Amino acid sequence: MSLLDVKNLSVVYEPRGAEPTMAVKDASFRIEEGEFVGLVGESGSGKSTLGFALTRLAKPPARIAGGRILFDGTDVAALDSEQLRRQRHGGFAMVLQSGMNALNPVRTVGHHFADIFAAHGHVPRQRRRSRAVELLEKVELTGAVLDRYPGELSGGMRQRVSIALALSLEPRLMVFDEPTTALDVMVQHAVMRTIRELQEREGFTAVLISHDLGVVLESTARVMVMKDGVIVEDAPSREIFERPQHAYTRTLLGHYADPRAEVVELPGLPADGRRTAPAGGGRGRAAAQAAIVVEDVSRVYPGRRRGDTPVAAVREVSFRLEPGQSMALVGQSGSGKSTLAKLITGVEQPSSGTISFGDLRVDRLRRRKLHKLHADVQMVFQDPYAALNPLHTVEYALTRPVVNFTGRSGADARRRVLELLEIVGLTPVEQFAARLPHELSGGQRQRVVIARALAADPQVLIADEPVSMLDVSLRAGVLALLRDLREDFGVSLLYITHDLLSARMVTDRIMVLHEGRVVESGPTAQVLRFPEHDYTTRLLDSLPQPARRFAAAGSDGDAA
Amino acid sequence: MRYILRKFGLLLLTLWAAVTLNYALPRLMPGSPADAAVAKLSQNGPVAPSTRAAIEAQLGVPTGSWWHQYTQYLDNVVHLRFGVSYTFFPQSVSSMVGQALPWTLVMVGLVTVLAFVVGSLIGVAAAWRRGTWLDSLPTLSGAFLAAFPYFWTALLLVFFVGYVFGWFPTSGAYSADAVPNLSFGFVGDSLYHAVLPALTILITSLGGWILGMRNTMIGTIGEDYVTFAEANGLRGRTVALRYAARNALLPNLTGFGMALGGVVGGSLLVEQVFNYPGVGHLLYSAVTNHDYPLMQALFLMITVCVLVANFIVDVLYGVLDPRTRR
Repeated sequence: MSLLDVKNLSVVYEPRGAEPTMAVKDASFRIEEGEFVGLVGESGSGKSTLGFALTRLAKPPARIAGGRILFDGTDVAALDSEQLRRQRHGGFAMVLQSGMNALNPVRTVGHHFADIFAAHGHVPRQRRRSRAVELLEKVELTGAVLDRYPGELSGGMRQRVSIALALSLEPRLMVFDEPTTALDVMVQHAVMRTIRELQEREGFTAVLISHDLGVVLESTARVMVMKDGVIVEDAPSREIFERPQHAYTRTLLGHYADPRAEVVELPGLPADGRRTAPAGGGRGRAAAQAAIVVEDVSRVYPGRRRGDTPVAAVREVSFRLEPGQSMALVGQSGSGKSTLAKLITGVEQPSSGTISFGDLRVDRLRRRKLHKLHADVQMVFQDPYAALNPLHTVEYALTRPVVNFTGRSGADARRRVLELLEIVGLTPVEQFAARLPHELSGGQRQRVVIARALAADPQVLIADEPVSMLDVSLRAGVLALLRDLREDFGVSLLYITHDLLSARMVTDRIMVLHEGRVVESGPTAQVLRFPEHDYTTRLLDSLPQPARRFAAAGSDGDAA
Repeated sequence: MRYILRKFGLLLLTLWAAVTLNYALPRLMPGSPADAAVAKLSQNGPVAPSTRAAIEAQLGVPTGSWWHQYTQYLDNVVHLRFGVSYTFFPQSVSSMVGQALPWTLVMVGLVTVLAFVVGSLIGVAAAWRRGTWLDSLPTLSGAFLAAFPYFWTALLLVFFVGYVFGWFPTSGAYSADAVPNLSFGFVGDSLYHAVLPALTILITSLGGWILGMRNTMIGTIGEDYVTFAEANGLRGRTVALRYAARNALLPNLTGFGMALGGVVGGSLLVEQVFNYPGVGHLLYSAVTNHDYPLMQALFLMITVCVLVANFIVDVLYGVLDPRTRR
């Protein structure tokens, strides 16, 4: 008998005052004891809804509309709330997305363990502390965190704590819902390794839900691919990797490439930087004329309280961004890349060193002069969902900078707005101009944000993780747009990211930042293919590499 | 501990600023009370300088440098010397305030705390059982009752419960023939008299706490840590109280602090309706009788109460939320 047997499961969302939508449609599958299964799909595919249904955590407006979930032979839906609560010990457990918020901010880690032990009574009182330490050691933490509050732990530590808490239930089935999504690349890599090792050692059955096919392929033995609520493919990982059957799986897989390869291509993004769309807009704009010159710049933040040591976010960084060049700034979170962006846009002043753009001394600009800088240097933000005012139409969002920076008005301004929409490929332009942000997809929003940055006719675009919030299938389009813009309008691009693959796709040069210092720089392809600094190598190693796994496993079957 | 000391230092600093403002503001105003009196007299003909001197002496116009006056003022404040009341001559202001304060502090203060505790608990229950009668009943009736102006609620209670049914006394803090002391008989008598004013405040403030707590609680119920606690099989009550309600409480504390601060100054109308001998009642008579020394002392006291309430809430935050301790 399978541990988990799902038959024709359907989950419907019935929000008040809106049309119900089927989030999961007629899903059927079995999971055997000890299996490690991946569940992959993009946002809105229903994968998390399915995960919540499996662990009976689905809450209104989600409702199980049909089908059955048999866990170890018993129908999960038939359990009353007390039976359900009791079976959480030794039954199914769940680790949530963004472990950052999975812990109660006003209770210590020790209290979290004590609450669970008290709820199930499976650890005698005098053993509780030592048992908690044992569990923490399994996720590579020490007993020292027991007396800490969640706010005092890093994101990776918090996610490890929640894994340890789930483990304390001695579950037979663990569902991991995007366990590493909110974490930094290198931390992500380490946490995933811990999860894999735990699963092997403890032997629990596991379901790993993720939007990242690479992560899933690297860890699990079997993968289910979900699209629009339907499981479109269910096969062993190696099969999925080598012989994907469904067109959608092939699309997802197509967006994985090794940034270290000699030639890197993504769908819609050919390797040699050829144009991907006919030149849009047709406005021959003068190319960028001025370079951004950063010399010996440092930024030191004072400690949180008096007596704390000051934090140096950026240390003695120097570089030139030549007109029309595109440069990537990579590093993990906390490496100082976003601080550098703030310094270059004049939002903050450096503690020492100089930044100039043409004859403007950026580090000395005050409010009024900043306006002049921002006519030429514009920013594309990371989160397209937060970068647009939800109350204003696209047209309004674009008209403001057109009026403010180019001095156009009335019909002239409107013409320019429509032209901008055309440039970023949001057609029919009239329709998009009238929309509100919530009527747009994430990719479309990011295009609006890019259009807004272009509205000022800038010479330089600074893009801070412009695609990290987007589904893979939307990323290529936005990246292609950034690349084309450079060619069509000659804008220079400073591309800030932790994602080495996209850096490889859109930039010529790269700078690797670590703890505020530039540790390596050079032509992008060369640095990524033949990294010289140890830190660059580690960054590259933390990328999920399914290809390597399957190559290493050889032809004698899957790694379990 | 360091956190509490820091907050206490802040309290002392703001107290000093409030006292200083209270000293400076009236003195920054042009003219003096003596000028006003002289101006009035001069309508009937010229006023002799000796008359003016007499008026000044009577009013006690201060002499000496401003520094001397200021230090003397501080000294008076510290020793609670606020002068003599105009209306209740020759009683001193501090003894008047001393008589009124306990009534207000105990009656209004206790009811405010009670309303917060009960209202928040009902709010927690309503949010936890969202969509059931346990939610809709208190939410609807809370909103309904909170919409009444509280003096109107007071009048309704006076008329029906006090006058028509005659269950509770409608005026005063104790029976006319009782002598204030701490015997059981007297405490019982004053509790009996406090029922209607207390009920008025409870009815009108409860709704706000219910709604406020319910709404923040619904927010925290959606948080990952609540879902995770459920996924870990914690008992419903643990999840509701220690996880959801504990966090939902935090934003409501600020409102509680403001309500506590308003205890002394904000009960004017209720005390007036019930003829309750508290601070509000006293303030009202001070204002109507142009009793400046009394008013000044009362205003200062209201300020002090707000500051002390804020301090209490700051300390509560420190105890309840580890994130503020840093």
